[in-house]
Amino acid sequence: MRNYGFGRALARGMAVSTLMVSMMSTSVLGQSVDLSKWSPEYVRSIAGTEEFDTAELCGAVTPLDYEGRLTFWYQGVFEGDPDLLRQYYKDFFEAFRATYPNIELEEQALTYNDLLDKFRTALLGNAGPMVVRLQILGGVEFASKGYLQELSPEDVGWKTEDFWPGAMKSVMWEGKTYGIPTNNETMALIWNADIFERAGLDPEAPPATWDDVVAYSKQIHDKLGVAGYGLVARKNAGNTPYRFMPQLWGYGGGVFDEADPNPTYEEIRLDSDASKQALQASVDMYVRDQSVPVSALTNQQADNQPLFLAGQLGMMISHPSDYNVMLDLQAKATGDDQTKAQTVIDNMRYGLIPTGPDGKRAVVFGGSNIHILNPEYVEGGEVDEAAAKAMVCFWTSPEWSLKMAYAGSNPGNLNGFKTKWMKERLDSIKFLDVTTSMLPYGVPFPTLPETPEIMNIIIPDMLQNALTGAMTVDEAAEDAAEKVRALTEGGGL
Amino acid sequence: MTSTSDTATPRSRKGVDGWRWTGRIFLTIMILYTALPMVWMLLTSIKSGFAAMQFPPQWWPTEPTLASYRKLLDPQNSVGQDFLRFFWNSLFVSFVTTVLAVVVAVPAAYAFSRFRFPGRKFLFFAVLLRNMFPAVIFLVPLFILMRVLGLVNTHGSLILTYLTFGLPLAIWLLKGFYDNIPIQLEQAARIDGATRFQAFLLIVTPLSVPGIIATAIYSFIGAWNEYIYAATFLTKNEQLTLPVGIQRFFSENTTDFPGLMAASFIMSVPVVVLFLVLQKYFVRALTEGAVKH
Repeated sequence: MRNYGFGRALARGMAVSTLMVSMMSTSVLGQSVDLSKWSPEYVRSIAGTEEFDTAELCGAVTPLDYEGRLTFWYQGVFEGDPDLLRQYYKDFFEAFRATYPNIELEEQALTYNDLLDKFRTALLGNAGPMVVRLQILGGVEFASKGYLQELSPEDVGWKTEDFWPGAMKSVMWEGKTYGIPTNNETMALIWNADIFERAGLDPEAPPATWDDVVAYSKQIHDKLGVAGYGLVARKNAGNTPYRFMPQLWGYGGGVFDEADPNPTYEEIRLDSDASKQALQASVDMYVRDQSVPVSALTNQQADNQPLFLAGQLGMMISHPSDYNVMLDLQAKATGDDQTKAQTVIDNMRYGLIPTGPDGKRAVVFGGSNIHILNPEYVEGGEVDEAAAKAMVCFWTSPEWSLKMAYAGSNPGNLNGFKTKWMKERLDSIKFLDVTTSMLPYGVPFPTLPETPEIMNIIIPDMLQNALTGAMTVDEAAEDAAEKVRALTEGGGL
Repeated sequence: MTSTSDTATPRSRKGVDGWRWTGRIFLTIMILYTALPMVWMLLTSIKSGFAAMQFPPQWWPTEPTLASYRKLLDPQNSVGQDFLRFFWNSLFVSFVTTVLAVVVAVPAAYAFSRFRFPGRKFLFFAVLLRNMFPAVIFLVPLFILMRVLGLVNTHGSLILTYLTFGLPLAIWLLKGFYDNIPIQLEQAARIDGATRFQAFLLIVTPLSVPGIIATAIYSFIGAWNEYIYAATFLTKNEQLTLPVGIQRFFSENTTDFPGLMAASFIMSVPVVVLFLVLQKYFVRALTEGAVKH
């Protein structure tokens, strides 16, 4: 089992790395982790080199004997998630309560697809929580509407330089900071080596370009009758932009200029030739070759996973959690099923996300941020600031920002990479090198209030219009561009 | 005569048999259509997570396991604690909704059936008016109302909402039932010295028990299965009802299918039992108003 030519791929991707480094701009010099040296080897070299005492560090922000009350919503982990991750979440709240025994904590876990809508509804009724942890594309929308308090890493004892510059951009609105990144992730391409081999492809080499993905997908489908690539196009599900945007950026397209070194978000590029080319690739797979799941229009990643694990899907985009999910399933299987599960694990391969025709490689710079609400939108009309900061400090600490992202993501606080738990992760989670190697290729979503609407509604709509034949590729792209224009220049949200 | 009769009978029987077989085939298809998903739900619930994802599917689990049920019903682990709490929350909300629906619908329906008062027709249709709009239209206004009343994150918000939606049909259902109870029975009781309330309680109510039971079943099922309002009004984990709670089996990137199916199966048990035990009353009540006595 080997990971496809990292060094070579990384070298080829230097242009993108340069882009990322330019995003780091002045902050890179003060960074606790040197992002300009980022490579799997560098990540390994810093892992386990430093220790952090969370209670001591957060105690300097909010005294450990502080008495107060806190309501907190977050995107939780549930029954389908790996046991390991669920245990860390459980440990986190136990540790917080043990560290701050006099803070009465009311936490509420919400599902990924439910959180934004539920939060919006609660805000309408001034019934929000004091602190909320939202997916990365949510923060700016709520900051722009005045729901969130200004909050920067310095407010809870950290430095802005302790966090990825791209992640910090996702909590900025009109020059002010409204939250702190808890975790950041980039995904990778997973493929089934056995399917590749049976389809006549090199089992150890992933498709190098998106055009290769289209060709490989067709070959797999034609030879074996199973789906080649796990296309997802479900509306109002974050999984769709996370999988389509890397393709869009790879071909050189974009919603705006978000993949450029210094984006201004002023030029709409959804109807550019490059964007249309990316959309055409999806149409080729779904309509022309019929080499992706027919249910792609309503699929999200949770629907791809069973197909992949059952050997009915050749390739998909996902993060390292899939490997942990598989280990979990194998541990809980019995008899013959356990052997079959082991075969699936043996055939799993992770590689870098393919490039576009010009060698451009990009991936969504994902993750979550934590925010404190303004009192008027909170149930009871009051925010216990000290208790809120204690929670924010705790979650964004090197220790917990790593542990809470243990199986599927990476710590928001870059110092998390230096902890002993990062070293443990690198030793125990196969393929982690691949997804951390994708971090420099990460492109943050546009930091605009309209981004959730664009990513969760307009982009999936564009895909669905083209895939169902309701519109041609040109029409779908132009229609989507027009909707973005109307949203950002006209009506707004 | 005999020969005519002999030739006519087989032709007639043949025709009847054809219809009968068509009916049987149709019913078999309908039974399969309704029962197979339940059977598949049950089979998936006794598979391991890996086995549930196999393709071609394991039609019969090669390694059946009750692990999902044990997990759900074990009050010692966090999944079981949550699931049992959601179950009792649903039971509480549905039970209180049902009791209140019956307590309000019975006198209201009786009044619409027996009394003639100004605006009677208008009020009756006004009650039904709410059911002519999709429930989701009232979602945000009701949320804001509940917020003003201080009922967000309480089961009271759900009970009040379910009554708002359930009562119109309950009243309409019971009115049809009372319309078919001859008024002469009450008049006879009045002549024998009963008050109107006694006549209602001792004569009309026993006769309307099937209708009341049907109303109760209807209210219970409506409250038990409701999702959208429960998902909007409740955010605290300790308050959630089952339809919202079982969302926990869906994560960002994965779904625990056996756990989901086991939870769905357990969730369907009270409704199925209730319906099986009381179905004769339910069917009778629904058809009672169709025939004039």
